[in-house]
Amino acid sequence: MVVSPSFKTTSLFKQMMAEYHERGVAAKEKGIPVAWVTATFPVEIIYAAGLFPYYPENFGARIAAKKVADRISAAAEEKGYFPDLCAYARCGIGNAFSVERPAGEVLKPDVVFCSNAQCGSLQKWFEAAGRYYQVPFFLIDTPLIENTPTTLIKRYIVEQLHELLDFLELYTGNTFNFSRLAEVISLSNEACRLWNEILNMAALKPAPFGYFDACYHLAPIVAWRGTKWAVDYYKELKKELEERLDNNVYVISDERYKLYFDHIPVWPRLRWFSNLLMERKALAVASQYTHSWAWRFDLNRPLESLVKNYTEVFINRGYEYRLQQKIILMKEFKVDGFILFSNRSCKPKALGLYDKYQIISDRTGLPGVIFEADMSDERYFDEEYIKKLFAEFFDRLEHNSN
Amino acid sequence: MPARKHAKKIYEHFNKIVADPVLQIKRLKKTGSFRIIGWVPTDVPEELIHAAGALPIGIVALERQAVSLSTPHMQVWSCSLMRCALGMALEGSFDLLNGLIIPVICDTTRMVTGIWKQVKPYAFMDNFLLPKQVDRPSAKDYLIGEMGRLKARLEQFMDRTITASELCASIRLYNHNRSVMRKLFSLHTEHPELLSNRNMYNIIKSSMLMPKELHTNMIAELWRELEKKVDDNKSAGKKCHVRLLLSGKVWEPPVIMDIFDGLDIVSAGDDFCTGYRYIANDVPETGEPLRALAERQFNRLPIAAFAGKSGDRAKSIIKMVEETHAHGVLFVHLKYCEPENFDYPMLRDDLSAYGIPNCRIETEIDSLPGENYFEQIKAFIDSIGGVV
Repeated sequence: MVVSPSFKTTSLFKQMMAEYHERGVAAKEKGIPVAWVTATFPVEIIYAAGLFPYYPENFGARIAAKKVADRISAAAEEKGYFPDLCAYARCGIGNAFSVERPAGEVLKPDVVFCSNAQCGSLQKWFEAAGRYYQVPFFLIDTPLIENTPTTLIKRYIVEQLHELLDFLELYTGNTFNFSRLAEVISLSNEACRLWNEILNMAALKPAPFGYFDACYHLAPIVAWRGTKWAVDYYKELKKELEERLDNNVYVISDERYKLYFDHIPVWPRLRWFSNLLMERKALAVASQYTHSWAWRFDLNRPLESLVKNYTEVFINRGYEYRLQQKIILMKEFKVDGFILFSNRSCKPKALGLYDKYQIISDRTGLPGVIFEADMSDERYFDEEYIKKLFAEFFDRLEHNSN
Repeated sequence: MPARKHAKKIYEHFNKIVADPVLQIKRLKKTGSFRIIGWVPTDVPEELIHAAGALPIGIVALERQAVSLSTPHMQVWSCSLMRCALGMALEGSFDLLNGLIIPVICDTTRMVTGIWKQVKPYAFMDNFLLPKQVDRPSAKDYLIGEMGRLKARLEQFMDRTITASELCASIRLYNHNRSVMRKLFSLHTEHPELLSNRNMYNIIKSSMLMPKELHTNMIAELWRELEKKVDDNKSAGKKCHVRLLLSGKVWEPPVIMDIFDGLDIVSAGDDFCTGYRYIANDVPETGEPLRALAERQFNRLPIAAFAGKSGDRAKSIIKMVEETHAHGVLFVHLKYCEPENFDYPMLRDDLSAYGIPNCRIETEIDSLPGENYFEQIKAFIDSIGGVV
């Protein structure tokens, strides 16, 4: 099985995720504010300010993986939110209105922090959440970096971080603790380093770990980055992977093809896709998505470094840069082909892929496939169409390797 | 010439410009050797383009057949406004443009520049990166800087310096044009029998497609004609109209305006990028001009693209309803326009809680003429009491 439930760390993951939620509930009871944050928000500042960060995007992925996104989304749709919106947002909003709790509770926010580096949907969703829960909404506005980062944009975001610190001091009534920030950033660095090393193991052939495994084990780097939890978790995972290598345990022992997968997975079809690939001895090994959290922060210039990492994240970059990054990953991981996912829920990831498909093919000579679906909502999943596309793709892959 | 006939001729002129933007660009090119720089809605500071010596042209008059041309490059589940604009470019409609500025106001505009540059590049292309948070001091500092960046790029492309006095002159020109259009808009809301919805909005749209000097002169001529008619109409009994406030991104497709005119509905105002919002406020004429341009941006009617307390859209719409004595609000939303989709449920609930009747129609640029809009709009005005 490609998504490996046999990992010992899988049970650790489940246990820690449950504890994480309990910690959030306990924090709320103790009067520690629960702060909603987005995946590319400088969460280190929120930890340093003593708040409990919570990631509704993870909730969206969990709902999707449990194949109930359509049911929770329906609660939002009944209120007038449309099925064309990002499914994470629909599920996050739907949870507020739904009486069903198939994937647990969302922790209600006391304050909402958002960075729009990833997309405008998060800005709108979190803004709506701020209004619905009647709590403050703070946006770190992150203009697109089309080519190289400009001083203007860097200065704008540093200025916004200072505004964030002012806001937090007023909100918590405490002076911001820069020493604590340094500790949190060190922990982030350590978790990101470990995560990167784990991802790099997919470059081995055969590999003990692939992209779909990375999607499974991604939550800690998103949600616990900046804590000892994330560091401990990835130490365990890395140790286990090293043991697997020592014992010659691989995802596909007779691995034939390595593939690049762009970008996020179709969560309710994670296993379906991994099996589809495995039937042809193919392993997805790299993606801009899983590599998004491979950050490095400079402790000597903490705010500037947070700005650099969180602003220059690939999703906030221009067309050509992102294209080049995809090709760089394809080369680093020596892939034999590429898969592009035109995700209805995510325009910043999907728009442009049609032309990029052709450009990547031209520049690399690799066979590829592009498919339409939604990362969460199976109403947009056409199994027969995807099977047919992939059968053709595998034929080209095989032809190419011969 | 009788006043009504003359006014009709002026309307026809504006309408022709809007009906065939490609021909209009060709006509403009023939009138001089200036460069034309297109801009995609919304909130691009046209004054800067004008001060640089180029003619700014809005990509606002659309040809619905062009939407499908973008399908090989853009997902069909993106908004038809951008798909149409790109489709028209692919068709060659904008080949006479020397440049194009695309503001990043949503995820689709954020992504379309890269695609556009790939499939149909122009000599000058720019992403205008407006701040999305509008309440904190950092936003203003940044926007002034971003205006400065755009100014520098335009200067480089046009190979000239934009002086403060040139920019101030452009600001005055644009302010004047906006002010005469506001005057007309006010007349339209009081006398829709003289200035229909279709004609009023075509006047606004055509102002984005022609030199402002010429547009202002034509409005002055029209105003003289209409003034006479207002005097004549004073004695006649006025026909009653339903007054609606409109909200959304753009007034599209234009057939909705005709439905309004046919049902004796008058648009009392709107927050459309191609409607009243375009003319609602001016740039301060004192102080440093880039700062003044930024000032106007922060004072514009709030739209879904921008977040913040000062952008509290529900309050803004309620205020407009009260000021314009509108009987209700019609949301005109483009399918797949996420920012509008996200705003809608709470706006609807806020308006309903305030006792303001409201209704939403979903449109696409390539909607079939008429589609179901007539029935939906008719049902809505019937529900609020019909023609009053």
